[in-house]
Amino acid sequence: MNALPSASVPLSGAAARVNPLEVDRLSKSYGPVRALADVSFAVAPGQIVGLLGPNGAGKSTTMKAVLGLIRPDAGEIRVFGQNVREDPVSAKRRIGYVPESPSLYEFLTGAEYLDFVADMYAIPPEVRRDRIPQFLAGLELAGHENSLISGYSQGMKQKVALIAGLLHRPHLLVLDEPLNGLDPRSARVVKDLLRNLASADGVGVLFSTHVLEIAEAICDQVVILSRGTVLARDTVAALRDRAGLSGSGLEDVFLALTGTGDLSDVVAALSR
Amino acid sequence: MNLHRVRRLGSVLVASQLRSGRSSSDPKSVFGQPALIGVIDVVVFLIAFGLAELALGSVPIPPSVLASVVRAVLPYIPLIAVAAVLVAGVMFELTSTAKFSGSDSANWLPLTPEEYVAASSAAVAYTYSPAIAFFLGAILPFALVTGTFPAWIAALALSVVSLFEGAFVVEMVRSVTQRMSAVAAGRRGQVTLVLRAVLIVIIILSFQFAFNPVFLFGILQHSAALDLVTEVVPLFWSTQALTEWLAGAPALGLAFAGAEVGFVALLLVAAARLRQRFWVVTAGEVRLAPVRYASGHPVLRAFGLSPTEAAVVSKDLRGYVRRRELLPLLVIPVVLIIIVLVEGAAFGGVGLIVWIGWVSGFFALLLATTSVGQERRALQSLFAFPLTARDLLRAKIAGVLVPALVAATGTSVAVGLLFGLSALGVVGVVLLNAALSIVLGLWGLVFAGRYSDFQDRPRPQYLRPAAMLGAMGSGMFLLLVIVVPGALAIVEPVGPNVGWVLWTIGAIAVSGVLGLYWARAGFDRMLRELPF
Repeated sequence: MNALPSASVPLSGAAARVNPLEVDRLSKSYGPVRALADVSFAVAPGQIVGLLGPNGAGKSTTMKAVLGLIRPDAGEIRVFGQNVREDPVSAKRRIGYVPESPSLYEFLTGAEYLDFVADMYAIPPEVRRDRIPQFLAGLELAGHENSLISGYSQGMKQKVALIAGLLHRPHLLVLDEPLNGLDPRSARVVKDLLRNLASADGVGVLFSTHVLEIAEAICDQVVILSRGTVLARDTVAALRDRAGLSGSGLEDVFLALTGTGDLSDVVAALSR
Repeated sequence: MNLHRVRRLGSVLVASQLRSGRSSSDPKSVFGQPALIGVIDVVVFLIAFGLAELALGSVPIPPSVLASVVRAVLPYIPLIAVAAVLVAGVMFELTSTAKFSGSDSANWLPLTPEEYVAASSAAVAYTYSPAIAFFLGAILPFALVTGTFPAWIAALALSVVSLFEGAFVVEMVRSVTQRMSAVAAGRRGQVTLVLRAVLIVIIILSFQFAFNPVFLFGILQHSAALDLVTEVVPLFWSTQALTEWLAGAPALGLAFAGAEVGFVALLLVAAARLRQRFWVVTAGEVRLAPVRYASGHPVLRAFGLSPTEAAVVSKDLRGYVRRRELLPLLVIPVVLIIIVLVEGAAFGGVGLIVWIGWVSGFFALLLATTSVGQERRALQSLFAFPLTARDLLRAKIAGVLVPALVAATGTSVAVGLLFGLSALGVVGVVLLNAALSIVLGLWGLVFAGRYSDFQDRPRPQYLRPAAMLGAMGSGMFLLLVIVVPGALAIVEPVGPNVGWVLWTIGAIAVSGVLGLYWARAGFDRMLRELPF
């Protein structure tokens, strides 16, 4: 297996003690639709926080707000102690972001796109010449990098988006469904990489997923969102105890907490 | 052909165009209903009718003059219909993204190619129907007074047929250009992409030449056998039918009308066959030369751009050549220049300079208005990068001005030399057109920063329709305010025309500064929040 390059520079000193991300009483509405209401949580250095919730719960909205892509109606987001609204460009330099459905420039080749991203983060040529081929090899994209992205499969596009998010050695990763469309090997590589970045380099990771086994396996803490509010925020074990399902998996806990546990009527109706 | 399915799909395609703008726009709004275009038709028709009635009532016009007005206008309304659809087709209808070509639900729903082509063409014909509503409304009072109302009814019917004629041709071009997009599959190298771009441009131009009355008339005017050609070329059969009708030969008129309907039916069959054959393209692997991961963009940076700005400009310039949906934009100046070459002798000195200036300014305006919307959903990536609004604006200005200034300079020099302008005149035209490109480019960005449309839809647009109308209307006004005095100043820059020189310089300076100021404000606002 090809080894991936280190995706971040280890934090040291005071920076290592500041939370990479603090979300404080975040609210956002789209007209009459309340997308987020008083959402608060934090990502500590070296911590992986999973953002879980049913479709439309507000996970992607939260992540976009962290990046400064949307303006919250109320609340504050701090990246390494710095208010994102006050200096979004500095915050973006320290964040690696993979959106839910990456829209890449499909008229560029994979290599051209990554070179473009490297320009955006002012990565020196010698560094990109070293890191990009390593990432391509590690995620089994080598050999395809000079083809137009328009010809890539969904999984290949996702890999390009992941590399783009890791290329500039960010100290906070905001990953919206990062394993979408990845083959099992690449998914494993990414999961191990995230674990490694968090434990070795102190990178904070906020990531959303619908695959609860993944969240259970790698998250230090999970935040369960439903209809724009935080239903629960704790370790998986603590949530299990709280739900009175100590012998169950995260899926049962999730379904119990979001009130969608009894699905037999739905299945029966759909089977007719 | 299932007409119910055709009507439903056509309605969805029209709605997809009307409901551009923010994803949160209310689909129940009256402005999102396909019936809106019908209402616009009626309103435009009534306004034109009312104005013509007013004119007829206030100015006494001899009956012979009225009859000659009817003879001069009525037969040409179907031609206007074809020209409107074809010109607008190049600008707006050929810009569907490759993404939708493959994933458009019409490809996997149980629809026949004929049904799809009929629905898509009906949507295009309906969308551009206000173009003929105006002329039909304006000529109706004249037809009523001269007793040629039956010919007016025939003109109405033939105009609708002609709208479909143009729409079927647009469908054919869509399919053939789609085919060209697949030509590069499996090949290697930039040359293949450039070749593909050239082929698409040639195809669009060929269809324009074959079916656009503006070109055909220009060419036919030089032909001694004009009358014969109008009888042989199908495009003119509607006009010929109405001319015969007005000349008192209804049987011959009916024959030409029947031939026109038959020809349009053949176009439907041809368009359906082309779609069946070429539409769904399997995305092939297009391999290019390896990247050295060292892009510094030294040429662009020599113009004072930062590395990030230069990277955005470089990306945009690649897009113009590689994106099938953007290629029609590059065709527009070529089409307009060919009109200059065909009609050039008729323009004269000032007219020629005005026309070249109009082409340069219009091209810059078009590039600028589409420059932000062409980011589509990838705008999200730009938002996530550490870019300021100022960085993005500077990059977009450069991305517009590089092709616009190249086109303006090339056009000015070529046309100036071809039509015998003095060396000083050519220099003046180059400077004027460069200034027009800058001013109109900034003006386009004023709109692009505020009203761009980023939605992926079957008929994508880069700017919301009302904003596009506003940009084009105000841009054309700005163009005229600068280019007419500018042309007068170039022809005779001394003596009484010195005032025009000062006016032109002043207008360029004021509009340029205002454009930059408003564009900055628009980009600042745009980057506050992702618009989707």
